[in-house]
Formats: sequence, C-alpha cells, structure tokens
Amino acid sequence: MAYTPQYGPGQSVVAENRRKQMNPNVKLEKIRNVTDEDIVLILGHRAPGQAYPTAHPPLAEQGEPDCPIRKIVTPTDGAKAGDRVRYIQFADSVYNAPSQPYQRTYTEAYRYRGIDPGTLSGRQIVECRERDLEKISADLVNTNLFDPATTGIRGATVHGHSLRLAEDGMMFDMLQRCVLEGGTVKYVKDQIGTPLDKKVEIGKPMDAAWLKANTTMFHTLVGTSYRSDAEYIEYIQRIHSLRTKYGFMPVE
Amino acid sequence: MADAEFPQCRIVTERFLKPETVEKILNKLAVIPGIRRIVINGPNIPQLVPYGPARGLPNPHSGRATIRVGETDVDLRVQVGTFLLELETRDLVQQIDEACKEVFTNFSYSIKEGKFMKSTPTQVDYAKYGPRANEIMLGLVDPKNKTGPTLLQGNR
Repeated sequence: MAYTPQYGPGQSVVAENRRKQMNPNVKLEKIRNVTDEDIVLILGHRAPGQAYPTAHPPLAEQGEPDCPIRKIVTPTDGAKAGDRVRYIQFADSVYNAPSQPYQRTYTEAYRYRGIDPGTLSGRQIVECRERDLEKISADLVNTNLFDPATTGIRGATVHGHSLRLAEDGMMFDMLQRCVLEGGTVKYVKDQIGTPLDKKVEIGKPMDAAWLKANTTMFHTLVGTSYRSDAEYIEYIQRIHSLRTKYGFMPVE
Repeated sequence: MADAEFPQCRIVTERFLKPETVEKILNKLAVIPGIRRIVINGPNIPQLVPYGPARGLPNPHSGRATIRVGETDVDLRVQVGTFLLELETRDLVQQIDEACKEVFTNFSYSIKEGKFMKSTPTQVDYAKYGPRANEIMLGLVDPKNKTGPTLLQGNR
C-alpha cells in the first residue's frame, strides 16, 4: 500500500494551513513580486550583479572521488558551481504571522533540496549554497509564507516575535530594517542591519482577516485558539503520554 | 515621608507606541498634579548595532527620538509599551484613565493598581548610590546607565 503523508493533525484552519505549506504538491500562493536584485540586496551577501564567490572549484573541474552516494545524489546548481554557503533568517510575530520557525523548517525540508534549516524559538535560519539560497529566498518572500509587517528578514538582532506589534502594525525590530511608508513596507537595511543605498520595496502588509485565515500559529487572543482544535489536543496528549511512558522509543 | 507608601499604577497598551503618542500621553499626565514619578518601559533601541557583522554601526531608528514633555526634552531609548506611575493619592487613577482614553483611541490599554516600582536597593543600586541611596531614585533608571532621570518642572 502506498504511503500518503498526512503532514499533521488537526481540523482547524491553522492545521489546514500547516498542511498546505508543508505539502510539496500544493503550490505556494504567489502574492508579491520582489525582484531577484532586491532579494540580493536584502540578503547582503554579495552586490547585485557580482559573480558568485566560490568556496571550492566547480565539481566538474575538481575531480570527484568514486563514490556510490555521489552517483545517486544530483548536486544542486550552487553545489555544482562551488558556491559559498550563505543564509537567510526569519523572525515571525506571534500575532498571526503566516509561518513560524518549526513550520518553516518542515516546509523547507519537504520542498527544497540541499538546505540546512536551523530552528529556534523566535527565529528560523536556512543555510544553503548562495545561488540556491537566492531562489529559495525569492520563494519564501514572494509567497503566502511571508507578510511584510509580521515577518522580518533578520540576520542578527532578531528580537520581536513575541512582542506586541507597533501602532502601525509592524513587528518590533530593534534595528528597524524595514519601515512602513505610504502603506508599503520598505527595507532600508539589509538583514544584518547595514543601511542600503536604496529602499527596497517589499509590498503592502496583509490585512488582519487574511492573516487570521492564513496563519499557521495558534493564538487565543487574536487568532484561532489551540484548545478549539480537538484533534490537535488529542494528538499532542497521545505524544505526551507515549513519551512519558516510553521515552523516545514509544511502544503501544 | 521616607516610610510613606505611595499608591502606584501601571498602564499597558495593546500596541507599542510611536514617539508622538508617547509625547501626547506624557503631556497629558504631566499636568495632572500628584504624580510623583513616571517610568516608561519597553524594549531597548540601541544607538549602535549591538550584534552581528554590522556590530558598531550607527542604528538610525524612528523610535529613538527626542520628545518634549512640558518644557523639558526627553530622549527616548526604548519603544514604549508600559508606563509605571507613582501617585500621591489613589483617586488620581481616574484622571489618568481619562487621559489614556483621549490618547489611546485606536487600540486598547489597561490600567492596574499595585506595586510595580523597586522599593529596596539591590546590590547594583548599592554599588552605584551607596548606603544612603535616595529612595526616589530607586527603580527609576537602570543604575548601570550613565544617564539619570528627567526632571519635569513641578506644577504646584
């Protein structure tokens, strides 16, 4: 019998959104059009138009050892060219941001190859070869995984995900990498906080109704409460019970 | 006076405030006679980038502004989200609530009575102010910070 992944439990809209994001057969909804050049500017790893610096010669030139695994695994474009490994990091507000660290990691692991996601409580980093990173970043920013106000691209000093929003609806950012100007969010600094020569427009913040309908985070006050999803509760109680009784090798 | 315990209250807003809104509410509070001390709280906005490859670069931030309260300039170093107030009498809370109602129109806020300010010196306070610390200074500013509190001209 063929195995069909379920991706996650739950009957609520949050659970459904989680499954949609994780399932690679569901196309992510494209919402905005941030150009590749703008993505490169926000990432801050290289100047737009600059050749990709390399960490090693291209695989075709350096002579690969005879290895069965290398024969099975096709290298990504970045790996083939010998690109450096670079990163993008996101902070997601608890106030109905479209994605959140664990969710991002699951989503990326299901959808992309050659990545190394790192999950932390308030931020999520994904590392990969530079040219692969730029493609993945464009996906992560341009689709329904991103909201200009409640998601931040933050390489360092990420504090903000669990704080109240500002009066204008923006998530707190100690470095104020992006500002809301005339209803549009513009990045004025790259992800580590170096000022940009030009403002990078990233789009209008999504409205509260869209956020509530598209979030993957439970929130009792502003969103869907966790307790309202009976299936999720049942699932988590089962995991808790099995872990408590049997540690990491649950046997029923 | 030293042994007297003054009532305190805390205002928490649903959203972090813009400097202009902080200026508005502080100017409303400053004219209420009988507020002894006000502490404004929120996450720090550093002058320089504190971590990462850009460490040490200047950190322009619209929240780090100078506002004018009464006749005095106040440098904001935090994104304000909480006000702690020490009052002479409890009945001032009503007036404070009215001031908040006028300013916080687009989002909610809460006012709670209780004890919110530090009352006994910590070790760091002791190192900074010595054994005879002025009680009014305790909890008003971070003792490690070189800048002191802002004094507003009294209105009576």
